[in-house]
Amino acid sequence: MIWLVLTVAGGIMGVVAPHHLLTSLLSNDGTDVWKTMVFFTVLAAPVAAFVYSVAIYSLIGWRHRGNQDEPPEDGPPIRGNGFVTGVWLITSTVLVIVLLVWGLSVWSAQQVSHPDTLQVEVTGQQWLWTFKYPGTGVESRELVLPVNRPIEFDVSSVDVTHGFWPAALGVQVDANPNVVTVIRTTPDRVGKFTVRCSQLCGLYHSFMYAPGSVVTSDQFATWLQSQGATSSAADKEAQVSQS
Amino acid sequence: MTTIEEAPRLEETTLGPKAGGLYRRQNIFTGLGFGIFLGFVGWLTAHAFLQSSNWGTDMVVTVTMVGWVVGFNVGVGTFNAPIRWLLGHDQSYEDELYAAGVGQGSKRYYKFCTDHKVVGTQYLVLVMVMFAIGGTLAMMMRTQLITSHSSFLSPDSYNAIVSIHGMLMIIATIIMVSGPFANFIMPIMVGAKDMAFPRLNAMSFWVIASALPPMLATFVLGGVDAGWTTYAPLSIQAPAAMDAFSMTMITFVVSVTVSGVNTIVTVLTMRAKGMTLGRLPIFVWGSVVGSALSIYAMPALLLGFTSMVSDRVTGTSFFVAAGGGTGWLWENIFWIFGHPEVYIILIPPVAAMMEVASTFARKPLFGYKITIAGFVAVGMLSIMVWAHHMFTTGWAPDLAGPFMLTTELISIPTGIIFLCLIGTLWKGRIWTRLPMYFVYLFLWNFIIGGVTGIYLSDVPADQYFHGDMFVTAHFHYTLLGGAMIAATAALCYWFPKVTGKMLNERVGKVSFWMIAIGIQATYFGQFWEGFQGMPRRVAYYDPIFLHANQLTSVGAYLLMAGWLVLLYAMIHSVRNGSIAPANPWHSKTLEWMVPTPVPLVNFLVDPVVTSDPYGYGEEGSEGYVSSHSPPARSEDELVPLLSSDYPISGGDR
Amino acid sequence: MPEVASSGSEPTRDVWPTKGPKAKPAGLLITFGIALALIVGVGALFYGETYRSPSGTEVAKSVGTATVNGVTVPHVTLHFQTYPDSTGIVNGVPIHPSGNSGWPAYGLTNSYQVPAHALVTVYVRQYDSGGSLNNPWFATVRGTIDGTAIVDGKVVKSISPNDVGHTFTVRATPGTDPGFFLSVPLPAVDGDNQTDNGKYHTVVFSFVSGSKGLYAWNCEFPCGEMLASFGGPMSAYGFMSGFINVA
Repeated sequence: MIWLVLTVAGGIMGVVAPHHLLTSLLSNDGTDVWKTMVFFTVLAAPVAAFVYSVAIYSLIGWRHRGNQDEPPEDGPPIRGNGFVTGVWLITSTVLVIVLLVWGLSVWSAQQVSHPDTLQVEVTGQQWLWTFKYPGTGVESRELVLPVNRPIEFDVSSVDVTHGFWPAALGVQVDANPNVVTVIRTTPDRVGKFTVRCSQLCGLYHSFMYAPGSVVTSDQFATWLQSQGATSSAADKEAQVSQS
Repeated sequence: MTTIEEAPRLEETTLGPKAGGLYRRQNIFTGLGFGIFLGFVGWLTAHAFLQSSNWGTDMVVTVTMVGWVVGFNVGVGTFNAPIRWLLGHDQSYEDELYAAGVGQGSKRYYKFCTDHKVVGTQYLVLVMVMFAIGGTLAMMMRTQLITSHSSFLSPDSYNAIVSIHGMLMIIATIIMVSGPFANFIMPIMVGAKDMAFPRLNAMSFWVIASALPPMLATFVLGGVDAGWTTYAPLSIQAPAAMDAFSMTMITFVVSVTVSGVNTIVTVLTMRAKGMTLGRLPIFVWGSVVGSALSIYAMPALLLGFTSMVSDRVTGTSFFVAAGGGTGWLWENIFWIFGHPEVYIILIPPVAAMMEVASTFARKPLFGYKITIAGFVAVGMLSIMVWAHHMFTTGWAPDLAGPFMLTTELISIPTGIIFLCLIGTLWKGRIWTRLPMYFVYLFLWNFIIGGVTGIYLSDVPADQYFHGDMFVTAHFHYTLLGGAMIAATAALCYWFPKVTGKMLNERVGKVSFWMIAIGIQATYFGQFWEGFQGMPRRVAYYDPIFLHANQLTSVGAYLLMAGWLVLLYAMIHSVRNGSIAPANPWHSKTLEWMVPTPVPLVNFLVDPVVTSDPYGYGEEGSEGYVSSHSPPARSEDELVPLLSSDYPISGGDR
Repeated sequence: MPEVASSGSEPTRDVWPTKGPKAKPAGLLITFGIALALIVGVGALFYGETYRSPSGTEVAKSVGTATVNGVTVPHVTLHFQTYPDSTGIVNGVPIHPSGNSGWPAYGLTNSYQVPAHALVTVYVRQYDSGGSLNNPWFATVRGTIDGTAIVDGKVVKSISPNDVGHTFTVRATPGTDPGFFLSVPLPAVDGDNQTDNGKYHTVVFSFVSGSKGLYAWNCEFPCGEMLASFGGPMSAYGFMSGFINVA
């Protein structure tokens, strides 16, 4: 009974809480994060509830009441139970396999590179992000992305390690000096977000963030031009966005 | 070790300054004095010869800190015996008795003392000092974060406080059980008269004690601004404080490794008659697994920080990309230490807490053997999961799958340990004394810590949560809500044995509720921040995180106040508490069979063990220790060890 | 000291107290007092002694009003200098209270106050030598009126990324005004061995301040020590970093 109540409570919390608490997610990977949170919480709720209910029931059912003296008699000498242990082992193994399959399938889906990907070169430095759009000559401290277009972030650093973390896009990778690390995502909703630095990078780590936005393809082409993109490159972007 | 077998009569021994000369005058103050002296000499030397070089300040700080650590330990007496051996003398019997603290009353707590009970008590005080400093630093951070743009701390002082809070707490939690209880209680539990290597035991304490001042000195050397993980290359860029910090860590590694070896050898070689491996109390198993892990993990840290000092002082470039190195190397080395370290922290307190659970449920431990298997499996797996801290670094993306697998596998043995814990509670005559409160709090917290750990082990979800407050909340739930609460249960449980007084449970329960509620408020607040996307280690944040942070800060104040109330309960009880009987909990492990305060050699009669210590509710289980064991030696021989003018451990409290 | 049991043969007592003596409120208060004193003491030690930064906020001087994009706004001016040696003393005021020879610093303070949505004209005297930026992006003037600055009387949009002394880079702190960004490169003075009263460049630029809140400024030229030359004065608050309070 306690178990049922707690399971249901945990399940409801799992379904409801992430949705309210997570920042507004703007990409397919962000949605995956949300789904994972819900799925894992729903899976974990009965297990956690089982532990809690056993503990609570022991306290209610068999607690030594009255004074603070020693209980007059000992509990039953249960030294183990092969059946319970076996069931517990099998259950937890099955759960782990389910979690792993879920995680790997989501992860491998993220690794696929799509044709027609927009490259963005991300440079971290103490204590600012800059974003280069290759082929356009644009380098900005704001990250502007067209909606529904696969993006590839090529992330690097000029000094120490930074963490490139556009939370709303559901992806994250460190910026390391002399190395280019790559992550991919596809924004699927228009909106504003913030790119933060997730790796302590010194004095102004708190201030190392960049405004970001996902815009329509037309707005993206316009923005590129306003940033002084060579017009041919901007036209190409505009064509790509229409195709 | 202190040889007892050939113990001559008391009247034949001379315990005066004559026998050892200078040696007899050493204590913590000579240690301080000589440490400062040698540190100063180091500073002068380095200043005179090395200041002009490119890496001047770093070299000076490093040499000064080496001077301090060596000087302090020479001054306090750590190297007395080895120095004498080098000079061709051995320790005399009087020296051994003197080193064990005989006849020195409370002064022996300020000395290099080989009595494992004194070392344990010294550790307990040191751990509390560390927690007090670490807690104060936490309060400063929470004060800064109570508003989004507070001017309480400057950005660099905030970073310095974040780093030292982190590492100080890690060190304190690593030694919080393996220091006090694995030293004080564990040898008695296995029926030993002391640790296998009493001098190494005392050394492990004084070495780690000498590591604390360099760590605090970082604040006046510019502050460590790279977090407790000191990720290179940021730590290569950091001020000279980083050199002092590296010296702290190297010293700490020496201490923990020595203490780990000591624990394992003690358990393997010093057990009483009849104490087979299958009858060892579970806490002993936990200590052994924890020690084995530290012997595996600590060398990585040593390697890492030696390379770090080398990069900073001599210009090597292990971790500097421009010189052909890589920060990923540091991250790997650090986490090869860093993940087993989590279980070095966790396993001993959890094992200690299972003793508490069994005693207060008045039931045998559920699944003794599978609990041991669980600990061993957790330990083995924990050395294969380090790269889950590096899922988002971009290092070896193809290894994400394997490390996700090993990380999630660890939840199976952890689940087994949970099963054993709740199995022990099931149908138990639960005796709701203070230690049991903390067992329940552990259960509550650790489930939350464990479940949130599963989210983080999932690579796609980790890409959202890595480096944000969700992670902070997760590991505080496991390390504070889990390990530290379990250690508190152990502390309340063994308090009567260690101090000889009963703990004031009325005040203790007040502190319990403050701590319990404080933890939930603090770390639920941090989960909330984490969900919203607030990065870790920031001194200024977007006001959208304001409410969560205010909840966290208020919770943290309550939590700190709760610990202070517990501290008060302890101090009050030590001073005014009622005298504890030898076995207040009617537990069956060996440490409760010896008198309180525990005599110097622990056992007046060598115990003979006939069963494991969990025979609650079983027929004839009273005789865990055979009452027919023969006395180890004649009454005459025992006199010097027992007589009241021959102070015994704890005799001066 | 209480009496202690010393005989090993003493049987375990079955009588034991369930409750200790009553806790005295005075004792509790004293414990808390000591704990509080410890916290405050340790805190004051770490906070007060170690991290001294230039004190005093320079409030921008009002010089009337100006019209920007057809809107009349208050017009204020700010003056500051970049010194090659933070141990120097200018007009009897130390450039930095815990100055370090070889560490450059902005002076005479690192804390400024300007009104919100005002035209701010900044006059900088740059005394320091320099070199190459880690990222040439900062060689361009960004966020000023017309994207220009006046260097020794000449209007420029950018300077050589290999000849930069410092930059004055301002960003909004989180949650303040993310659109606000200002970065002005300050050209280097030729030659080494610059002094706090030697040759200098004058850089003048104007910008419109953002909405109320705390803004952080720093230098993006690698003028420090250690790795990437961002250690030393670059990572110690108050030399090459500070706040602008937009009130």
